[in-house]
Amino acid sequence: MKLPPVDYEAPGTLSEALDLLAEHQDEASVLAGGQSLIPLLALRLAQPTVLIDINGVEGLSGVSRTNGWVAIGATTREYVAEESQTIAESVPLLAAALPLIGHEAIRSRGTVGGSLAHADPAAELPAVARALDAEFVVQGPDGERVVPAADWFEGYLTTSRGPDELLTEVRFLAARPGTGTSFQEVARRHGDFAMVGLATSVTLNSGTITDARLAFAGVSDVPARATAAEELLEGQRPTAEVFAEAARAAAAGIDPPSDLHGSAEYRKKVAAALVRRGLREAVGNAMRGSD
Amino acid sequence: MTAIAAERYTGASIKRSEDPRILTGAGRYVDDIKLPGMLHAAFVRSPMAHARVLSVDASAARELPGVVAAYTGAELEAMTVPGPDALMALMGWQGPTPQFTLLATDKVRFAGDPVAVVIAESRYLAEDGCELVAVEYEDLPPVVTAAFALDPASPPVFANLGDNIARTHSRNEFGDVAATFEAADRVFETHIDVHRHQNVPMEGRGIVASYDRDSGSMTVYAATQSVHVSKIAVAMRLGMEQDKVRVLAGDIGGSFGLKIGASREELAVAAASRDLGRPVKWVEDRGENLTTSGQAREESFDVRAAVSNDGDLLGMDVKMVIDTGAYPGMGAMVPDIVQAMFPGPYKMAALGFESTGAITNKCCYVAYRGPWASETFVRERFLDLIAKDLGADPLELRLRNVAPLTDPPAVMVTGRPLVGVTTQESLQRIAQLVDFPAFRRRQAEALERGVYLGIGVATFIEAAPGPREPGGPSGPMGIETMRLRLEEDGIVVLFTGQMPHGQSHQTTLAQIAADEFGVPFEQVRVVVGDSDVVPFGLTGGSRSATMTGGVALHGARQLKARVIDVASHLMEASAQDLEITDGQVLVRGDPASGIPVGEVARRAASGEFGADVDASLEVIAQFDGGEGGWSGGSHCAIVEVDTETGIVKVERYVVAEDCGALINPAVVEGQIRGGVAQGIGAVLLERSAYDEDGNCQSATFMDYLLPTACDVPRIEIEHLETVPLDADVNFRGVGEGGMIVAPPTLVNAIEDALSPFGVRIYEQHLPPARILELIAEVDAKD
Amino acid sequence: MPDITLTVNGVTRTGSPEARKTLADFLRDDLSLTGTHLGCEHGVCGACTVILDGRAVRSCLMLAVQAAGSDVTTIEGLGPDGELGELQQAMWDSHSFQCGFCTPGMVMQAAAFLGDHPEAGEPEIREALSGNICRCTGYQSIIDGVLLAVERIREGSARETA
Repeated sequence: MKLPPVDYEAPGTLSEALDLLAEHQDEASVLAGGQSLIPLLALRLAQPTVLIDINGVEGLSGVSRTNGWVAIGATTREYVAEESQTIAESVPLLAAALPLIGHEAIRSRGTVGGSLAHADPAAELPAVARALDAEFVVQGPDGERVVPAADWFEGYLTTSRGPDELLTEVRFLAARPGTGTSFQEVARRHGDFAMVGLATSVTLNSGTITDARLAFAGVSDVPARATAAEELLEGQRPTAEVFAEAARAAAAGIDPPSDLHGSAEYRKKVAAALVRRGLREAVGNAMRGSD
Repeated sequence: MTAIAAERYTGASIKRSEDPRILTGAGRYVDDIKLPGMLHAAFVRSPMAHARVLSVDASAARELPGVVAAYTGAELEAMTVPGPDALMALMGWQGPTPQFTLLATDKVRFAGDPVAVVIAESRYLAEDGCELVAVEYEDLPPVVTAAFALDPASPPVFANLGDNIARTHSRNEFGDVAATFEAADRVFETHIDVHRHQNVPMEGRGIVASYDRDSGSMTVYAATQSVHVSKIAVAMRLGMEQDKVRVLAGDIGGSFGLKIGASREELAVAAASRDLGRPVKWVEDRGENLTTSGQAREESFDVRAAVSNDGDLLGMDVKMVIDTGAYPGMGAMVPDIVQAMFPGPYKMAALGFESTGAITNKCCYVAYRGPWASETFVRERFLDLIAKDLGADPLELRLRNVAPLTDPPAVMVTGRPLVGVTTQESLQRIAQLVDFPAFRRRQAEALERGVYLGIGVATFIEAAPGPREPGGPSGPMGIETMRLRLEEDGIVVLFTGQMPHGQSHQTTLAQIAADEFGVPFEQVRVVVGDSDVVPFGLTGGSRSATMTGGVALHGARQLKARVIDVASHLMEASAQDLEITDGQVLVRGDPASGIPVGEVARRAASGEFGADVDASLEVIAQFDGGEGGWSGGSHCAIVEVDTETGIVKVERYVVAEDCGALINPAVVEGQIRGGVAQGIGAVLLERSAYDEDGNCQSATFMDYLLPTACDVPRIEIEHLETVPLDADVNFRGVGEGGMIVAPPTLVNAIEDALSPFGVRIYEQHLPPARILELIAEVDAKD
Repeated sequence: MPDITLTVNGVTRTGSPEARKTLADFLRDDLSLTGTHLGCEHGVCGACTVILDGRAVRSCLMLAVQAAGSDVTTIEGLGPDGELGELQQAMWDSHSFQCGFCTPGMVMQAAAFLGDHPEAGEPEIREALSGNICRCTGYQSIIDGVLLAVERIREGSARETA
């Protein structure tokens, strides 16, 4: 299971990286953490002509908070994000999801941007980004553009990033007071991809739910917002009946795949269960103000 | 019972002598071997399950810089001697014998079937070369299920057979089956399936074959359970004299039955080495291991049971179909063992057993830890189903029906005496260790909160080595031989054909020999893994504790007698007055008289003794298993099933086992826990999956899932040690038991957890989605 | 490909691996450090785990060239002078392993985890090791080895501060 022949470039600056992408376009694969890309190469499922290793590009990693947004550089290691006080305080849903990504050794190298650019619909970070309407900052030959999460995920392992563009930063709005979050996942084993995962965020305003966000992992070719459930929850008191109704609406709104690990029918049932559990936990967190 | 010289080591969890190298990265596995001029092999494999091969063109591969050679199936045929599979031949298989070439030539028979091999300067380059080999296939309809294989309309996978029967249908009866069923108050009937899963050792198959043109000899570095069986396989296929083939094995990263003899790929690599006159290495990658090395357990059963109203199990009637995959392995022979073992420790008076083997376009069936394990699964699953229908307690039903320990022992209806079997005792011990009434109360209370707990029990025996046959040896695979020698530095060396791959033989055998001979543990060395040097042997069948432990004990005793005899000349004392303690030969009661055993060896080698004294301090000992005997035990699992997600958590797992005397309790417990972990894997995680076109869907570790440290709980183990059966050797094997009985234990517990839904389970693989399906199926029926 | 230089087990090493060669293969083939094992080559089994710049990483998921300038510890370099360190000794005493193939990765992962969590208890240790597959032991003996190491390290520092 050896990698196929491939050229290798390790640019030191963003402009060098962009020049290389402009030159090679679709023939290039961007190498960040490598935790998803290298297995694809080892299995010879991907055979790019050149790897553009961006681990050495200055200025692409780090976590900062400005003006109510938390900015995470694309090559920020997942373990760094996991240890970040800023993320723990300001983006609790992300903090909840990060420890579920694979295992510690994967998070030693895997990057926040890499996971979001790879866009595996069963992964944790795409669901979080979709739930929180994260913003994706992309640099390209025509400068910078900012892509909202709703437009970032286009299809299975496909994003809005053009072949001559590089994702440089992801931004999350800092959680407002009264917000509670939950990341739920059903996987075959601890650390595996979710068969179904759910990123939930709700804000409580005088005891009623506002700004409910539910985004699924593993039920579609992209992370999927359960908009019908979200609309249903708006203005409701957080009761078990309401959660159950939201769960039904969410399950009805998805058309999940069947594979070796679970049938479509199974995924729908689990999706409903995760909505109930996710809402209970998120609301509980909101009430405690513990997020 | 003869007292052992110094009972210091046997029975204690002596630290392993293997570990210092294992823990520091100094182990030597086959992929660690580097020889001058060594090349690397990679295989071109069929992407289809069943196809004619129209053409194979390796010319582009041969032109790739770094590629040294490429061989097609046809070229390898010309370089090798056709013949049956070595293991099948050794085991005396008489049934249908498929004809096929070493690598595929005219057709491919499963997805992954090797068609050509590329030899290059590195594995990287060899794989690059494989991509350049052009193969033209013509699709054939795939035979993916046993049902279709048994249909005469299915296209024969092997032309010479004309059909897809791996094992001709046969039926045997023990006791009066018809009368037993006629007279029974109740007859229960069911169908039970066991799914395909596989060994998956952490190290796959591998070989370094090194042919030396000058001497015409082949040295093979192997990952194998027997250097001699591998040697025979290589010699046969290459048409070489056996004494021109030497097989060496160092550390082996697990096997569980997979690495016996030599696979087609390994033989192709040996042939390539001979052709090139250079060493060639092939180590399979995980994709190859999961799709082509071998799979097991795909068996289905129609079973009937004749039962009295009081719950006496009077007899059973079994129809078994085994899916042996494409190329022959031991699958065709498994039903014989399943039949022999089916009664287990139960008193049933009649057994009908019929079986058929089917050839399908899937990976070949290989031995996997307790290859006959389905007999325990089917019987123990069926008993729980019968208990439910009778309204009986599953534990009580078993206690009622297992044979008690008697002298003379009860005899299985298939013929083997249940000598020393303590099934009743192990079931009773489980009932002591697990408070069943308290659990039932907790279960009921949990149910009110919507939490589903379940408890399950199962019991088994395994022939490890098995009871003595009248006039014959115990245990399969015959007599065990060992060479023992006292070296001049005082080291007692044991040469054994055992090939440890995790069993810790280098420690356990040294414990026994050290005790029996009278030297410190550190003064014994166990030599394995060189076919020029060790006697014939094979590690498998859970036999080594008895057979090799026994030959080590008796051999050490014989060697000691020899040493004392020589020493008696040196010390001018009578042999009866001498003993060996702590590495010294001394006159009993006179510690000052002691001389180190090494000195005896030096003096013996110096030639100072005349021809009338046998001064050779080497013995060849043999052991037939002594009184033999069974291992067995009862397991109990407590599980929690999340009925919203289907996730099963094993909360508690308890073992009451009997393998006779323990050589090294830590080693015994490690074997049991590892086997139970594989059972957990089989039930909750592992399936070798194929789609309807015969494509393997479990080709990576993302789809073939192994249990992790979060999936296997602490396993509580109690040892029962049966009354001694033999004057000296009461160690019995334990390697396979955990894997044999854990699956029914778990499935019984899961069914118990789901009984509020009325779920009945007739299969072994219960991933989360299946759990929810089972619940829904009952809902749908209501 | 240009040469790379890195520190492995405290020693400066250089090599010229082609770009596609994994760090695992570089260690095993170019540096003859065969202690690091290949169990799957797609990042799931953990047998290839080494410590790089203070973190456990899967060396089959890194290119050798990516390790240029890094500080790598493999199983051969874990104990002092190739001898057994505290964790390895505790695992020996606990009969942690059988066939030994998963061992290097398991030990390195445990060592990295204990370095950051010297007071870890069983649940945390199980989770930390849940990405390392062992087929032989059922894990209990491995966990016991790590717990024993935790206890001994704690006693050791208690003695030091006493």
